[in-house]
Amino acid sequence: MSGMRYAIDTGGTFTDLIVDDGEGRLSFFKSPTTPQDPVVGVLAVLQVAAEANGRSLPDFLGDGASLLHGTTRALNAVLSHKTAKTAFITTMGHPDVLLFREGGRTDPFNFTRDFPQPYVPRALTWEAPERIGADGSVVKELDERRIVEIALEIRAKNVEAVSVCLLWSPINPQHELRIGEILADHLPGIPITLSHQLAPMLREYRRASAASIDASLKPLMTDYLSRLEGELKAAGFGGRLLIVTSNGGVLDATDVADAPILAINSGPSMAPVAGLYFAQQHTGSTTAVVADTGGTSYDVSLVRDGHIPRTRESWLGDRFYGHMTGFPSVDITSIGAGGGSIAWVDDGGLLRIGPESAGADPGPACYNRGGNRPTVTDACVVLGYIDPDNFLGGKMKLDRELSRAAIERGVARKLGMSVAETACAIIELATQEMVHAIEDVTVNHGVDPTSAVLIAGGGAAGLNSVKIADRLGAAQVLFPHTGAVLSASGALLADLSANYSEPAVTATNHFDFSNVNACLDRLKSRCAAFAVDAGEGALETKIQLSVDSRYVGQVWEIELELPCDSFDDASDVVKLVRAFHKQHEKLFAVIDADADVELLNWHARVSCRLHTIQPHQAEERTDSASAQRTRKVQFSTEGEVDAAIIPVEALKIGGKVAGPAIIESNFTSVVIDPGAIAERLSDGGLLVTIERHLATGGKA
Amino acid sequence: MGQTKHSGARLAVIHARFEAIVRKMTNTLFRTARSGVINTGRDFSCCIVTAHNDLLVTAESLPIHVMSGPDLMAKIMRELSPDLKAGDAFLNNSPYHGNSHAGDHSLLVPVIDAGGTYRFTVVVKAHVADCGNSVPSTLYANATDVYNEGALIFPSVQVQRDYKDCEDIIRMCKMRIRAPEQWYGDQLGLVGAARVGERELLALGDELGWDSLDAFESQWLDYSELRIRGAIAKLPASTVTVANAHDPMPGLDEGIPIKAIVTVDPAEEIVTVDLTNNPDCVPFGLNLTEATATTAAMVGVFNSLGPGIPANAGSFRRINVKLRENCIAGIPRHPASCSTATTGVADRVTNAVQRAMAELGDGIGMAECGLAIPATAAFISGTDPRRDNNPYVNMITLGQTGGAGTPWSDGWLTIAHVGNGGLVMRDSTEIDELMYPIRIYTDRIIRDTAGPGRYRGAPAAEVEWGPTSNAMEGIWSSDGSTFPAQGARGGGSGATAKQFKRNLDGSLTPLDAFGGTKLQAGESVVGISSGGGGYGSPLERDPARVALDVSEGWVSVEQAKDVYGVVCDLDGNIDEPGTSALRAA
Repeated sequence: MSGMRYAIDTGGTFTDLIVDDGEGRLSFFKSPTTPQDPVVGVLAVLQVAAEANGRSLPDFLGDGASLLHGTTRALNAVLSHKTAKTAFITTMGHPDVLLFREGGRTDPFNFTRDFPQPYVPRALTWEAPERIGADGSVVKELDERRIVEIALEIRAKNVEAVSVCLLWSPINPQHELRIGEILADHLPGIPITLSHQLAPMLREYRRASAASIDASLKPLMTDYLSRLEGELKAAGFGGRLLIVTSNGGVLDATDVADAPILAINSGPSMAPVAGLYFAQQHTGSTTAVVADTGGTSYDVSLVRDGHIPRTRESWLGDRFYGHMTGFPSVDITSIGAGGGSIAWVDDGGLLRIGPESAGADPGPACYNRGGNRPTVTDACVVLGYIDPDNFLGGKMKLDRELSRAAIERGVARKLGMSVAETACAIIELATQEMVHAIEDVTVNHGVDPTSAVLIAGGGAAGLNSVKIADRLGAAQVLFPHTGAVLSASGALLADLSANYSEPAVTATNHFDFSNVNACLDRLKSRCAAFAVDAGEGALETKIQLSVDSRYVGQVWEIELELPCDSFDDASDVVKLVRAFHKQHEKLFAVIDADADVELLNWHARVSCRLHTIQPHQAEERTDSASAQRTRKVQFSTEGEVDAAIIPVEALKIGGKVAGPAIIESNFTSVVIDPGAIAERLSDGGLLVTIERHLATGGKA
Repeated sequence: MGQTKHSGARLAVIHARFEAIVRKMTNTLFRTARSGVINTGRDFSCCIVTAHNDLLVTAESLPIHVMSGPDLMAKIMRELSPDLKAGDAFLNNSPYHGNSHAGDHSLLVPVIDAGGTYRFTVVVKAHVADCGNSVPSTLYANATDVYNEGALIFPSVQVQRDYKDCEDIIRMCKMRIRAPEQWYGDQLGLVGAARVGERELLALGDELGWDSLDAFESQWLDYSELRIRGAIAKLPASTVTVANAHDPMPGLDEGIPIKAIVTVDPAEEIVTVDLTNNPDCVPFGLNLTEATATTAAMVGVFNSLGPGIPANAGSFRRINVKLRENCIAGIPRHPASCSTATTGVADRVTNAVQRAMAELGDGIGMAECGLAIPATAAFISGTDPRRDNNPYVNMITLGQTGGAGTPWSDGWLTIAHVGNGGLVMRDSTEIDELMYPIRIYTDRIIRDTAGPGRYRGAPAAEVEWGPTSNAMEGIWSSDGSTFPAQGARGGGSGATAKQFKRNLDGSLTPLDAFGGTKLQAGESVVGISSGGGGYGSPLERDPARVALDVSEGWVSVEQAKDVYGVVCDLDGNIDEPGTSALRAA
């Protein structure tokens, strides 16, 4: 495939576009997001790119082979309760699956938050008279007459979508299927999600939650995607519309409309895909911490041994207070810390940062839009990290005096410290919280953060990522040239991929060969069908098989990659057990050598690579207009110093700069702390090496 | 000591570093433990104690574990073993030596720097699946004394020297603790977590300097004290006596009266909880330990003051808990059994304290929380025909609802019990049915069982379960079957717990609250947990909340009208004039 590719990521504030001209040249564009109708923002950013190329939009789009789109549309709909009115049908006796969830709570002495409401209200929950047993046998026949009544009751409530999750449906789906038929007869035009079809895995809460979220998104996402496709076509685009999925791949828009939960984490899921690529490209490392700094949140993921981290425990909203998607998703930990986080002093005299954020509006005090509480961004302005006259390439003027005044009034006076000292402390505390988030993620996975490369993406990443890497003890931090649009750049790298699952419960001491092999055969043939159909023309197709496994008696499973693609004899089972021990030791530091292993849900992931990736070649500016400037910049270890201010294009490829220095581009400024050395990479990114431990002023 | 004085900013940063260390310890144990009670129930805690034996930093741990105990055990370790060296580790599960119940194994590691100075004690406490009791349960309410209880007791016993196991102790445990490999896996997790804490603290001292950490320590405790002082200073001066009672036991037919006398002195900024007026130790496993009696009282105070006050020795300076020896809610005298010292009476004490706090004034305290541990969450045992008739025993963690109404919110539905604070995870029906030959017939909340109030309690839940094939035995200790969780400030009581056997003909037979039953295939137990008490008068409840409760099936139209004074229909449509008239009457 050749032709242009467009990657568009619709974020909270900006819609980012990267254009890949098919010959290794990338260009970036930004345009404001239009929350009322995001399609408008998508077309607007394409228009910006067309104009920059001196072409009309239809002409420009006419060259497009594909458009890869990440969107927070589905997520925002859930978080702002704008999804369809959805009914939920469950097994008789178990109406509270969505209410109870899986338990758990944080912050033991804080009772100020109410217990969360179920995703579907109990008032819209119906109990189906039926029961399937753990072995798939029918314990109680489905009362079809009652289901017809339920369908009529649902209709009377003006419901717009229906989810069905019965106990044990992944083992025996007959009752769910029959309910699906009856509903289709009586509720024509109402979208239905059957849990065993969407998420055939055990643990009824996760399956019910996935089915309900999915159903509730169908009307909205079908509408959004079909309108997007239509408007793009009308504007001259004749290529393929691919949507970024939560799972770090892309899928055709029609497939996503059929199961919109696939797009719930569309967008952020691409940051680790991009991070892994750049880590490999420039450091040879396949273990990286990928951090994306936004205005209000700091997203962290851990790429380990070249694997994009995935989880089946991702939450919409806060853990234990939101809803679990129950769906495989790229594993990203998000904390509410960013440039907009507000600094304050509590009544015990302690400095605090967040969780309140000034957001984009009114924004930090220096924006001069009425925000008068000091933020992390204000601290950066006061310290000289951000040039108030050259923010976003000079597109926005900042007011340093407003930053100073806000810090003075809001924090410094209460702490009895100077404004500069206070600003240093704000950065240090914000840095500490980000370090926390990274340590949680790495330690949870048994990875020593000192051995990883930090990939720093996001517009505000440059301000303290060198400090973060230093505090982690990491030797290198990489600022990709696409850092400001990291998620969009990941979309260009993503494979077309789909996931299939099926339960087949067995254990290694009485392994059910025929059942497991039959299950794997079905999964593999679904993958093959996908590769032939959606993946037609792929350069490479991979199928990965895995199984949820645990020691007998354990409660939580590990997703284990299979060492073989079918089980021919006992030696294959031995291989599986060995692989499990190894994985368990890697994750948990211990093995139970004598224990048998239980196997529950089997998964297959098919990925089709559609493109070869051409590394971008950065340009060097040869004119000498960029004479070195210096600026007063404050560092906590060194006090105020004259730091070199260098426009990134003025750096030669391979050229090095020692801190203290600030490297500026139109999208971000990168603070190179004393003791660190930055090198400009061939694609225009920056690789910063930390030569001495800064936090202790070089003591270590 | 050349005293450094940290700014409020520096203090926050160093505290974050300490908290990170405790979280690393917590993560290590959570991912290495083998017992479900640890890796699902989250029944464990990690903390750092100073060289002065003061609790400094805890992570998100069970309230009933963390507040008092680690400090007592650190002190006892240093008294009994004055020549501590780096590489030592001590096991303490003794109710008479600062620990909670014998089922909680606490591992203590001294943190000694390169110069030989004692810096910290790290403490990791976990509820193990078995502790060698005479019955296969670590919660044995009917134990007459510690001999009858049967646990192996470790009154601060060395289990590692030079970072290596003391093999004779490990051997001893493996001969007496059921599922010895599972226990040893947990023990490894405890040691691993403590060693992580030790290593990280030494590195932090090297990085920041010990003087700096010393300064942090005293300033952080002072800061915490300042926070609680500020909260107490806002309370009215008063002494409130609140009584409730643990359910009857054989021979104690009136139940066991529990009394807390709470005195708030806002001028001195101190809260005193007097528990000395409680009965002597009883010949059951219900007695509290010094640690759990103190902690139960403190949990009640902390729950009442609102969020944000660090729980450590600094804030504890302002909570004075009075105990006496040989008291059921005090300091136990050997050989009194304390097998259920973290639930039962401890929950009654916490409930009494937070309800007493509520009586001080509006916006303070909490109602009483539903009680532990109902037949919805029984220990089940038997043999599994699907697995060659292998024996199984475990607790099903379902239906433990009944959070208390508060000044800010309705009761937390999945609270488990007040000393747990809702941190526990709950089982999946499908996973339970996969692991044991059990069927979960129902798992749902019950309408009109929550204690009504401006903020109501959480309702009771019904869980019906029974064997699918072979016989199954179920055991529970369902406090709250006689005496409900009471409301506060005009709030109503929650419903009591109940338990029945459903016979083959479908009829129900009531069962004892403390005990169990054997079931044949087709029979089942209907377990019902207790509801939480409400806070404030139900007539003050926001009608919109009442209407939502009605449309969601938590409250009936009749209760809405009769108790809440809200007239609405099943769909939650409010009759405004009717409601105003009713509430005015």
